[in-house]
Amino acid sequence: MTEQSDDVIVKTLSRLLIPFMQIYALYVIAHGHYSPGGGFQGGVILGASIILLVITYGLDNTLRRMTERLNTILCSAGVFIYGGIGLLCLILGGNYLDYAELDQILHVGVAQARSLGILGVEVGVGLAVMAVMISIFFDISTGGLPSEKIEGLKD
Amino acid sequence: MEVTILVHATDESFKILEDARERARQVLDTAARLTSETQSVHRKRVEEIFKGARQTKAEVLKFVAAFLIMFGFWLLLSGHYDLFHISLGVLCCGLVSHSSQDLLFANPRAGDMRVIVKRFFTYVPWLIYQIAISNLHVARLALSPSMPIDPEIITFKTKLESDISMVTLANSITLTPGTITIDVKDGVYYVHAVSKKTAEDLMTGEMEDKVAHIFMEADHVYVQDVLDMSPIFGALRKI
Repeated sequence: MTEQSDDVIVKTLSRLLIPFMQIYALYVIAHGHYSPGGGFQGGVILGASIILLVITYGLDNTLRRMTERLNTILCSAGVFIYGGIGLLCLILGGNYLDYAELDQILHVGVAQARSLGILGVEVGVGLAVMAVMISIFFDISTGGLPSEKIEGLKD
Repeated sequence: MEVTILVHATDESFKILEDARERARQVLDTAARLTSETQSVHRKRVEEIFKGARQTKAEVLKFVAAFLIMFGFWLLLSGHYDLFHISLGVLCCGLVSHSSQDLLFANPRAGDMRVIVKRFFTYVPWLIYQIAISNLHVARLALSPSMPIDPEIITFKTKLESDISMVTLANSITLTPGTITIDVKDGVYYVHAVSKKTAEDLMTGEMEDKVAHIFMEADHVYVQDVLDMSPIFGALRKI
């Protein structure tokens, strides 16, 4: 079990840092089609912000904010967005993840459709990567048991 | 015989009167209790409405403040100022401010944020000046052949209250050459000082006073804040 840190400096600075980390992660995801970065990198930074919260504020406080249930839903949603956009292109008559076909439902021009398709896929990848990172860390810090069971044992 | 009947009747009538009085008292008691209960329930409801309104207002204010800070950071990073990217930014900042506003403003004090920011930016030049002075001192220690160092660990109890002010002081001490904050535990600072002079400079408590002044804590709460925050008193001070 990861306990709450008792160092006031570490706790305060990470508390102030985490919102900025999350904004930076979302910036990396949202600008992935213009500049370096994208879903994987942004997702890892988002996951790192939650992992920092676990390290400094302890697992119990983090689970109150980010439950394992929500984490699993986000993980599945990310994979679903990625696969869904790919399949949508397939259904519209192109290859898997052939974003140009999205033009038929978005009506914005082929280049713009490709850009939006990439953004959508990156959001999906970001969510999935973040949730998997957090899930791995939760598993390590609880010893693989579901968090509900750990809390039951503590009471 | 008649006398006993009379006495009996009198007894009976007294008993009935007693009963009636008892019942009347009970009714009155119940009425009074019900009234006070209704009143207290009513008062409690009004209090809850007021408290709820105050809490909602504070939460909305926190959300707006967090959103503005986050959006400023986003604009600094982004560099694409078209409608699409700005709207993405609004969405992301809304999400993060919603989920992390309690992290950013964990213990808001009853201080004016503008005053704190203003004082902080007047504190930074003073800190830089202190760093420069200590730098020269440590350079002289390092360059003199006899190396007149006298390392020691000093502890002092701080008068600061909030975590953010403690962190500001701890990092200011660490930034100043010659002194390093080792640990802060329960309001006690453990500081390593490289020579007598740096330790004495720290023990005068000037830096602590300045930090307390920024965050309006300890003995800086009353006089100075009233002077700084209300224009009327400011005008009076000038006279």
